[in-house]
Amino acid sequence: MGSKSIKFILNGKDVSVKTLLHRRLLDVIREDFGLTGTKEGCGIGECGACTVLLNGKAVNACLVLAGQIEGAEIMTVEHLAKDGQLNKLQQRFLEKGAVQCGFCTPGMLMSATALLMHKPSPTREEIQDDIAGNLCRCTGYKQIIEAIYETAYGRKKNSSE
Amino acid sequence: MMPTLDFIRPTSTTEVLDVLDRHGQEAAILAGGTDLIPGLRQKAARFSGVKMLVDISAIEELRQIRYSDNGMSIGTAVTFSEILGNDLLSEYYPLLVKAAVNLGSVQIRNRATIGGNFINNAPCADSVPPLLVYEASVIIQSKRGEKTVPLSDFLSSPYQTRLEPDELVLHTLLPPVSEGFNGEFYKLGRRRGVAISRITLAVLLRNNSGKVGDIRLAAGAVTPVGIRFTDLENDFRGRDIIPRELKQMSRELGKRILQETGLRWSTAYKLPVTQQIFYQILSSLANSGG
Ligand code: FES
Ligand code: FES
Repeated sequence: MGSKSIKFILNGKDVSVKTLLHRRLLDVIREDFGLTGTKEGCGIGECGACTVLLNGKAVNACLVLAGQIEGAEIMTVEHLAKDGQLNKLQQRFLEKGAVQCGFCTPGMLMSATALLMHKPSPTREEIQDDIAGNLCRCTGYKQIIEAIYETAYGRKKNSSE
Repeated sequence: MMPTLDFIRPTSTTEVLDVLDRHGQEAAILAGGTDLIPGLRQKAARFSGVKMLVDISAIEELRQIRYSDNGMSIGTAVTFSEILGNDLLSEYYPLLVKAAVNLGSVQIRNRATIGGNFINNAPCADSVPPLLVYEASVIIQSKRGEKTVPLSDFLSSPYQTRLEPDELVLHTLLPPVSEGFNGEFYKLGRRRGVAISRITLAVLLRNNSGKVGDIRLAAGAVTPVGIRFTDLENDFRGRDIIPRELKQMSRELGKRILQETGLRWSTAYKLPVTQQIFYQILSSLANSGG
């Protein structure tokens, strides 16, 4: 048993941490690295609040164990903003009113990031399917889908700026 | 809280088999973790003896989808996203791919594996009905040797299989499907996306100039374990594909499911729905030619 050292890439940097291998990735990220953007909602893979990217794919960090990420590349919501500047997706979320209480937002952003990485021009339906694992109690999803859509296609002509 | 557990991550199946040979009783195989991890945290009875996790997600051999003359073999640690992305599976085993599309969320599909799905053998394991109509078999290895078991025999009762503690499922083999079958997979869930499935049906039908040339039929979630109805299939062969007969067949399916389930609380709701769905599937398959 006992702690072991694991190495992986976290938000572009090589890191290593000593941990029990059966701890959840979610806890490693939040407790060991202090990256609290990733949220815990249900803890059983149903709400998506803990979504991070594992080797470029959206996964629930509550369903991955520390021992499984040796050598992997993990990206959390903290990696989206650069030098204090929100990225385009984050800005659109704010503009479109896609953030209310904000609890689902980090997970939504990561699901959207994975989608746009693999499919830069998704349909609204594809957006809807890809965020189906992210629950939002506040917004009703419409604003979130619009924010992702406009990130992909640019702002509508008639919108004010 | 997660109970304290040993964790190992072998890089070869030989290593896994050695560990299972010594610690099979207390070891649980971990791949995607989508059932096991919540189950452990919620202290589910079926994982109560687990003291050690054996993570097989790093073993390349178990992550391959391969094509051969015997059919397609799908490694036990292949994820549903990988199944979705495979062109050969889409072409030859579309019902399995359709089950994968409807399984959980993107996040779940990126982790959940085909082996985990049918080895956990929940009544709602989505991959089971399609695998049953495709007559899948399971290739199992232990230090005692290798064997091939039809999936229908492998699944025994809910959350149980015939897998021995020292055995590892290597892959699933889907034999070639003979020409002329049209198929449909249907799933009715409670909520779109992450629904744990409540009714699943997989049907393959060969229309032989207006008669049932051949039919394969399997259900999940309505029955305690995913099940193929070979007795009904025998009865249905040769019948006329006309609405009256199709309705009759749906009623017979309903009766058969009732036998299988006894009377569960949900049967009253599920039964008429299942009959209706089966009728619709038959009608649309009958009309799609072939
Ligand atoms: S906390 Fe991980 S999916 Fe809800
Ligand atoms: S903004 Fe509150 S849960 Fe989505």
